Amino acid sequence: MAARETGFRLDGGCLIERSKPLQFRFNGKPMLGFKGDTLSSALLANGVGLLGRSFKYHRPRGIYGAGLEDPNAMVAVRDAYGYEPALRAGQVRLAEGLDAHTVTGWPSVDFDIGALAQLGMRFMKAGFYYKTFMWPTWGLYEPYIRKPTGFGSAEPVKPRHSEQRHDICDVLIIGGGVAGITAACGLLGAGLKVVLADEQPRLGGALMREGVTINGRPGAEWAVEQQAVFEAADEIDVLTDTVVTGAYEGNFFTLLQSDHDAGGAGQAGGLRSERLWKLHARYVVLATGSLDRPLVFEDNDRPGVMLSSAVGRFVGEYGVAPGRTVGIFTNNDSGHLTALSLLQAGLHVSAIIDTRLAPESPGVEATAAAGIRRLSGAEVVGTSGYKGLRSIDVAPVGGGAAERIDCSVLALSGGRTPLIHLATHLGVKPVFNPESGEFICPYVPDGWHIVGDAGGFSSFAKAINDGLEVSAVIRTTTGAGPFSWDVPKLSALESAPSAAFWKSNAGNPARMWVDLQNDVTVADIELAVREGYVSVEHLKRYTTLGMGTDQGRTSNINGLAILAGLTGRDIGDVGTTTFRPPYTAVRLSAIAHIRQNDIYRPRRRMPAHDAHIAGGAVFEDFGWQRPDWYHANGADRETAVAAEMVAVRGAVGLFDGSPLGKIEVTGPDAATFLDRFYVSNIMTLKPGRIRYSVMLKEDGVIFDDGVLTCIDEGYYLAGPSSGNAEMVASWFERWRQTEWPALEVGIAPVTSNWASVAIAGPRARELLAKLNPGVDLSSTAFPHMSYRECRLGGVAARISRVSFTGELQYEISVPARYGHDLVDQLMGEGEALGIQMVGMEAWLRLRLEKGYLHVGSDTNGRTTPGDIGMGGIVERKIADFIGKRSLSLAFSGSDEREELVGLHAGQGRLAPGGRIMAPDAVSAPCVTEGYITSACYSPSLGKDIGLALIERGRSRMGETVRIYDNGGVVEAEICSPVFYDPDNERLRA
Amino acid sequence: MIVIRCPYCDELRHEEELEYGGEAEIVRPAPPESVSDEEWAAYLYMRTNTKGHHHEQWCCRAGCGQWFKVVRDTVSHEVHEILRFDGTFSHPTEE
Ligand SMILES: [Zn+2]
Repeated sequence: MAARETGFRLDGGCLIERSKPLQFRFNGKPMLGFKGDTLSSALLANGVGLLGRSFKYHRPRGIYGAGLEDPNAMVAVRDAYGYEPALRAGQVRLAEGLDAHTVTGWPSVDFDIGALAQLGMRFMKAGFYYKTFMWPTWGLYEPYIRKPTGFGSAEPVKPRHSEQRHDICDVLIIGGGVAGITAACGLLGAGLKVVLADEQPRLGGALMREGVTINGRPGAEWAVEQQAVFEAADEIDVLTDTVVTGAYEGNFFTLLQSDHDAGGAGQAGGLRSERLWKLHARYVVLATGSLDRPLVFEDNDRPGVMLSSAVGRFVGEYGVAPGRTVGIFTNNDSGHLTALSLLQAGLHVSAIIDTRLAPESPGVEATAAAGIRRLSGAEVVGTSGYKGLRSIDVAPVGGGAAERIDCSVLALSGGRTPLIHLATHLGVKPVFNPESGEFICPYVPDGWHIVGDAGGFSSFAKAINDGLEVSAVIRTTTGAGPFSWDVPKLSALESAPSAAFWKSNAGNPARMWVDLQNDVTVADIELAVREGYVSVEHLKRYTTLGMGTDQGRTSNINGLAILAGLTGRDIGDVGTTTFRPPYTAVRLSAIAHIRQNDIYRPRRRMPAHDAHIAGGAVFEDFGWQRPDWYHANGADRETAVAAEMVAVRGAVGLFDGSPLGKIEVTGPDAATFLDRFYVSNIMTLKPGRIRYSVMLKEDGVIFDDGVLTCIDEGYYLAGPSSGNAEMVASWFERWRQTEWPALEVGIAPVTSNWASVAIAGPRARELLAKLNPGVDLSSTAFPHMSYRECRLGGVAARISRVSFTGELQYEISVPARYGHDLVDQLMGEGEALGIQMVGMEAWLRLRLEKGYLHVGSDTNGRTTPGDIGMGGIVERKIADFIGKRSLSLAFSGSDEREELVGLHAGQGRLAPGGRIMAPDAVSAPCVTEGYITSACYSPSLGKDIGLALIERGRSRMGETVRIYDNGGVVEAEICSPVFYDPDNERLRA
Repeated sequence: MIVIRCPYCDELRHEEELEYGGEAEIVRPAPPESVSDEEWAAYLYMRTNTKGHHHEQWCCRAGCGQWFKVVRDTVSHEVHEILRFDGTFSHPTEE
C-alpha cells in the first residue's frame, strides 16, 4: 500500500495572486495561502485532507467539492469582521489572520469519540431516532441526543456590515461562464441596461479549468478580456462575488454580493460587508451552468474522494493539487477531459475507470493517446485508507475479480446536473431527459432564456451559440436592432452525455453514501422504500436525504435515481423535491440591513430638543424623542412628576407639544370635506373658534380625536393626536382622491413646520402677557376653545386656547426654527411665576385627573362615540360622516357595550390592564366585564384614580367593583371620569 | 415583487415604495341610510378575494402620493392595466 499523500501547490491557478501571501490558522496551526484562495484550496495546499466528522456516524470527511455544493467541509471562521460557526470552506475567501476550526468531531477531528458510533452503525437506520425514542416522549431524550451532534457552537456576534440596493435592469444574466459572457457581448450597444452576476471573483466559469482555447488563447484569458470590455461599458454592470439567491414573481431577484478584504502584511482581513440587491429585470438569461454529480459505491465517503469538477477547479483556479496520484471514476467524457487537464498540470493519473464498455469520443482518444490507463466497463467497488484515500478496488460492472489501484484522490464524474434552482423558485417543474440523464426545465418563466449547460447537456460551442442567439432575440424584441459580432473561434474537445449509471451494484449498501452530510446511505433508501416511503418528499423527510446545509446538491438526483430503481419507476416519474429560495444561506444581517436599533426607526427630535436637555429632560421615545420627566424637578421620576403636576395646578408649567399633529385643510369645500370626517358638526364652526371631536373609521369605531381650528373661511387646522398625525393626513388624502375628487380642497400636513409649546396653570395668562402678543387675553375677548394669531418678538405665532390638563392653557406655535427661543423666553419670563418644565408623564396624569381620554389607551378596536359619552353629539348631527351608518348596526346599540367611566380606589393601587371581575365572581379566573385603561395616583385627590371601559359602566355609578390584577384583587368605585374641576371653572378662568 | 409604474409621476415603483389599498370599485352606498344593514355590512366587509385579475387600489406612497387603480393578476403579479381616478388609462409599457 502506498504512503498516504496530501495535497500541495502547483504552478498556475488563475484566481490566486502569488505576490500576496496570506497567513491564516486552521485548528490553531499557522498556515500560508494566497490572495484569491478559498479556505478549501488553501487547506488542500497545506496538506489538510480531513475536515470533519459526519453528522450521524462521525466518519472522517474531507473536502468533496470546491464551492457551496460541498457537503463536508464545514468550518467555524473568525475574521477581522466577525465570527461564523458554520460555513462551507469552499465559500470562505482566504484573508490575512483568518482563524478557522473544524466544527464536528469531539474531542478532536482526528480522535472522535463519536466515531465509536460506527460500531453501532447497523442499528442506526433511517427513522432510528423516531422509532427508538418514542416512549414516553421524544422530548425526554432529545437534549442528550442533540449534544454530540450539530455543527459548531453559536456565540453572540456583531452583525457584519451590510447594505441594500434596489435596482431595475433590462436584462439580468445569471452566470459569467462562456454562455453568459457571450450573451452580454451580444447585448453591447443595444442601449439596454444589463446586469451580469457571477459567484466567482471574476468571469470565466468552466473556462478557468478546462483546456479550451478561444481565438487561439486560453479560454480564461478571453473571459478576462471580455470582462474588461464590459466594465468599460456604461450599460453593463458586472457583479462578481455575487450569488443570485432567489427568483420571485414578476422577475424580481435577490442577489447577495460580498465585499472581501483579503488584508495582508499583518493587516487582518475578511468578509468586510455584504450587499443585498433587490433587482427587477425585464429579461433574464439563466447561464448558471451545471454541477458534477458523484457516483455511488462502497466506502465512497473516504477523504480524498471528490467531485471531478472540484479537482479541476482546484488545479485550474487555485493551482492546488488535492493529491499527487489521481484516479478517475466516470460514466461520461468529462472525466477524460479532467484527466487531460490534470496531466497537463503534472499530476499522475493512475487510471480512468469508465463504466462504459467501449467509450468512443475525442476525449477518450486523447486520454488513450496520452497513455493514461483506462478500465472500460468497470466500476469502483471499494476504497482503502483510514483518514485519507490510499487505493481503490476496481471490478468489471456486473461482477468479476477486483483489482487494487493506488491513488490518493478519486475524482467522480457521474454526469451533470443543470443548475436550474432559480427557475424552480418560480414554479417550473423540472422534467427528466433520459437521453442526457438530467432534469431540465420543460419551459421557462416569462422573459427568461436558458443558455449553455443550464439548459441541459451542452458544449462550449453550443454555449457560445446559445448566448448569441438569445442576445439577438432580446435585441429584436426590444427593437435594439441587429448586432454584428465576430463569433469567437473555439477549440475544444466535443463530448457526449453520460451513460445511465448511478451506483455500483457490488458491495454493502449500508456503506454506500448518497448524502454525505446527513449520512444517508443506499441502505437507508432501501429501508424507506420497504416501509412505504416511496414518494420523493416522504423519502426526503424520512431519511433526511438532501436536508443538510448543502441542500442536497450532490445527493438529490442520485437519491431519486436509486428510489426509481428500487420502485421500478422511471426517474422522471419519481419527480424532484421542491427548491425554494434562498439558493444558498443568506446572513440575517444582510436581510435586516441597517434596520436595527436607532436606524430601525429614526429618532425624531423636537425643534427645542436642546432646550429640554438643558432642562434636565429624561427622554422617552413616543414616536418622537419627548421628555418623560425632568431631573431638574426631582431626583427620581415620582418626585419630579409630582412637582411638575403641582406647578401646573398651582402656578404654570411648560409642555412641549410640537409632535401634536397639524394638518391644514383649505379650499372652498374645506368645511364640507371635514364635516364628513368628524362626528361633530363642523359647518357651524366660526373663524377663530376651536372644536374638539372624534373621527371614526367606516365601521363606526373611533380612529382618532383632536381639536379642529377654523382659522378663516375655507381655512382649517386639524390637530390629530401625535401618534396618528401621518395616518390622519393620509386618510384625508385618500378620501379626497378616491371618493370625493370633485371637492375643492387641499391637504397639507405641516406638523413639523411648527414648534408648539403649551403653557398651563393659573398663571399662564400672566406669562403669555409678558411676551406682549398684542392680543386681548381676557377671558371674554379670548375665551376657552378659541384661536388668535399674533407676533411674538417679530415672529408670526398662532395661539390656541385649549386645555388638556383642566387648567387655563395656551398653546403657542411658532415656526419650528424659533422653537428653542420660545422655550427659553417662556422659561426666563416664567421664572418669577414659578414655572417648571413638564414631561409626558405628568401631562398624562393631569389629563387623567380631568378625565380626558387618550385615544388608543382609553379606546380600543371596538370603542364607538356612544361608549365614551359622545352619543348625544352624534345624534344631533344630521349630515352623514364616515362611520355614521355603522352606528345604527346592532352591535352599536347592544346593552353589553363597554363604556368609559372613572374609578377611584380607597387604599388600593390601580394599574392599567386590571380586569373588572363580574359581580358574582368568587375568585379569578372568572368572567370579567372590562378593564382599566389608564390609572395613576392623583395628588389632587390623594388616592389612585383610573379610567376604565366597563360593561354598562355609565348605569353603574357608585357601584363598587373588584379588580383582578397580577394575582391581587383591589376594590374601587365606579364614578364620573371627570375627577378634577367638573364644572370647568379653572379652564375657563 | 410587484412593480408598478405610477401613472402620475411615471416612475417604476417596487412594492416597498407603494401602499396597497385593497379592492377597488367598492362603491360607498349613497346615502348610507338608504341601504339595509346587510347591504352596509357587505360594503364594509365583503370582498371578492379574486384569484386572477383583481381590481385594486395602490398609492405611490414613497413617491408622489397619488392613489390609482391597477388590474393585477393575483397569481403571477402581472399588471394588466393602470388607471387614474380621473378615468384616464395607461397600460404598462414594460411587459
Ligand atoms: Zn407617483
